[in-house]
Amino acid sequence: MSVAWVGSQPVSLMDAIQNAAKLLASSRCPVFTLDTDVHGTRSAIALAERLGGAYDHGLGETLANEVSLFTNHGGMFTTPGEARRRSSLIVLVGEIPASHHEMLESWAASRPDLGDRNKRLWFHASGSGTVSADTSKLVRKLKAVSLGGDGLSLEGALAVLRAELHGRHVASPLVNVAQFRQALNKSQFPVFVFSGTSGEAAGLVMLQGLIADLNKNGRASSVFLPADDDAWGTALTSLWMTGFPPRTGFSNSLPSYDPVRWDVQRMIREKEADLHVWMSTRGDETPPARGRIALISLSKNETPTAGAAVTISVGKAGVDHDGVTYSSRVGTFRAVAASAPSQLPSISSIVQQLAEALPGRRALPC
Amino acid sequence: MLIRLVGGEVIDPVNNGPRQRDVWIKDGVLIDPPMGETADQTHDVSGCIVMAGAIDIHSHIGGGNVNTARLLLPEHHAAHQPRPAHTPLSNAGWSTFQTGTLYAQMGFTTVVEPAMAPYTALHTHLELADIPIIDKATLAILGNDDFTLSLLRNGKSSAMLDDYIAWVVGSTRALGVKVINAGAAAAFKENVRSFSFDDVVPEYGVSSRKIVKSLQASVTRLGIPHPLHVHANNLGIAGSADTAADTIAATEGVPLHLAHLQFYGYGTEGKRKFSSEAARLAELINANPDVTIDIGQVMFGQTVTISSDVMRQFTAIGNASPKKSVILDGDGNGGGGIVPYRYKQDYYGSLQWAVGLELFLLITDPWRVFFTTDHPNGAPFTAYPELFELLMSSGARDAKSTELNATALELTTLASVRREYTLEEIAIMTRAAPARLLGLKDRGHLGPGAIADVAVYRKGKDIARMFREAALVFKNGDLVVKNGKVTHYRWGKTLRLNPPPDKAMIKRMRDYHEERYGLSLDWFTFPDSAIQRDAPFAEVSCNS
Repeated sequence: MSVAWVGSQPVSLMDAIQNAAKLLASSRCPVFTLDTDVHGTRSAIALAERLGGAYDHGLGETLANEVSLFTNHGGMFTTPGEARRRSSLIVLVGEIPASHHEMLESWAASRPDLGDRNKRLWFHASGSGTVSADTSKLVRKLKAVSLGGDGLSLEGALAVLRAELHGRHVASPLVNVAQFRQALNKSQFPVFVFSGTSGEAAGLVMLQGLIADLNKNGRASSVFLPADDDAWGTALTSLWMTGFPPRTGFSNSLPSYDPVRWDVQRMIREKEADLHVWMSTRGDETPPARGRIALISLSKNETPTAGAAVTISVGKAGVDHDGVTYSSRVGTFRAVAASAPSQLPSISSIVQQLAEALPGRRALPC
Repeated sequence: MLIRLVGGEVIDPVNNGPRQRDVWIKDGVLIDPPMGETADQTHDVSGCIVMAGAIDIHSHIGGGNVNTARLLLPEHHAAHQPRPAHTPLSNAGWSTFQTGTLYAQMGFTTVVEPAMAPYTALHTHLELADIPIIDKATLAILGNDDFTLSLLRNGKSSAMLDDYIAWVVGSTRALGVKVINAGAAAAFKENVRSFSFDDVVPEYGVSSRKIVKSLQASVTRLGIPHPLHVHANNLGIAGSADTAADTIAATEGVPLHLAHLQFYGYGTEGKRKFSSEAARLAELINANPDVTIDIGQVMFGQTVTISSDVMRQFTAIGNASPKKSVILDGDGNGGGGIVPYRYKQDYYGSLQWAVGLELFLLITDPWRVFFTTDHPNGAPFTAYPELFELLMSSGARDAKSTELNATALELTTLASVRREYTLEEIAIMTRAAPARLLGLKDRGHLGPGAIADVAVYRKGKDIARMFREAALVFKNGDLVVKNGKVTHYRWGKTLRLNPPPDKAMIKRMRDYHEERYGLSLDWFTFPDSAIQRDAPFAEVSCNS
């Protein structure tokens, strides 16, 4: 089975590395789309620095929205483990990615063993008709009581809820707000569960304002469930590597963070970039078909990527090889062992080989 | 490789040899002058002082909270310098790479991250492993977690507590144990807003004093070389000196390290009810040989406060500058608060600055006072050179004092204290004493058999400049800094203890995590290979 191609022709891994290295060496402005584990991300960022490129995550737009809550505002948070053990009142906020549903259902099957230890109650704050069928199903399973209002967006609903809890008069109260107020009074540690897909940045800030209000006299917090665990892991890795989250570029030899300037898809579309290095270990993914610049694909596919000058098939951490990934179950990084070890190389090892095939042949620092 | 440093003035208080002597390095280790051998490499260090590599015992250089601070403040750490040609990412603002580079350039070769939440140990070690050049170590936080507090509430045996602490230290690859505002993080989750030494955690009926004393005793019984590292209650508030005094009095013959004492040096005198109690605390420290302290010196300018003392950080949100913050109620010992702050040369900032210096200067034994700014809480570690100058020159202190709030300084003894640290005292405080405190017998001095961590400084009137840019730095005998610039990376180790885990405790931990978190224990532990560096850890022995 081939693992490397130049165009659509199978070649040895060494030939593919040499061809990719030539493209990298001659590029004026390479851009990197990342979607891999911690160690793949570390190596990719080190390579981007070496080449003066820019990097983003494959889910860059959603990740940028999540990052902006922190860079612009901050907030009060707790971990999934603490919420499970301590919170008898959980409020789901807007859309919750399907990847987290199983965890939330497991909370429903348990009872808090710390704090008030009351039977757990669930609410769902949402805008009119804004959640997916999957989230609606989850809400039904959890018997979550709806908190919303006719014609209100999620941001609007949160604003009205905040005003009502503040004792202000509102023109159109949310449904079930009296029931919610009663639950709040009984719970010592209510927790709001949200994601980057829950709503616009302004809504997330409003949510944090509401939580800050509740903490004036009592306790409350929030669990942030990233829209995508791997993307959030990339953000955290990028932060210690460069000081900045993704959408960072190395112009003038120094890292700079700019979510507009270093939006890799924009750079490709507007032809600021002349080489796209696309890394995806998710499996059977294809790069977005925008712009027509040279493409190097490091992806978990069994066939060459359409339109790629060079394709190298790579493994996924936790499946083909051991690795480290972010996990929302524990709210931090986790070591993952290969579940089906294979010969597919890791992104990290391929990136190291690329670096050593570049002029100067210097190893990367990670 | 045989290396000879010729003509330098050797400052090595541990070995007390002649000042004017050569220093010899062979294969990464310091040796006595060899008979009849010629060095492969000779460095003329005339006009320079030669010291062991410096050791920082308390600097927040990596882990979840540090990374959250980076996330919160991308505008805070833009890099402004040209990138050195051979050291990738070393000018990436506030990155792990820059941390190692800047420390090495100042002659520091070992740094301790003092606050690792056990459940985020992998994250901490991933970051530490990406800090180049220097060796690292970290302390595991305990004392706010349900398991410890339940053991104490239920009157379980001290042996069981020892087994648990040994398991935590071993599985998280820690060099010691830290307790942060013992019990307060757990109490804060139950809406308690202030917490003193004899206050009780509601859920458990256990006092902060009981937690500290139990952990202190256990750390001693386990032979963990570094005494329990205590971040006491009531940090930063007027009157906190009383809390510090209570904690100091509670040692009762057992060693204890009190972290960033400056932040507890405050009384309630004066018009603003915020005054210096440094002289009183210094007297208590001088009289109690059980206690070591580090300072947490405040220097002026923008910084960000990072602490797992979540209760304290929550109360500081109102002073955030810029106006944003993160508060995290973590699992057990995790969590904390990230609150950016600007130390101004106003009354409060001036008083804090003076309190730190008073403590440095009034505590007489340099073996028991440690050089820190609690990076970045009092100031970034990059302020160290200026702090060395303040300690070594009363004139420099006088000059700075003229810029500060006179009313605040009048409530301190600073102007009357004319002590100036000698180079020997600096070498004790930043080399020999930290090595002894942490149980690192292989460093902190220049005797034969020590690893060749050596810092060479060009002597000059400008003390800050001397310590900012080491002329030469060797890490394990590898010349990594020349004329204040890092020449290349090497990868240091993370120093850890490895007490043997008790089998019954491992089973207990498995059951606990499955029952309470619904997850198997391997979600919370990791193999060394997860770090993906060659031999990332080096073991330090426990006391027998």
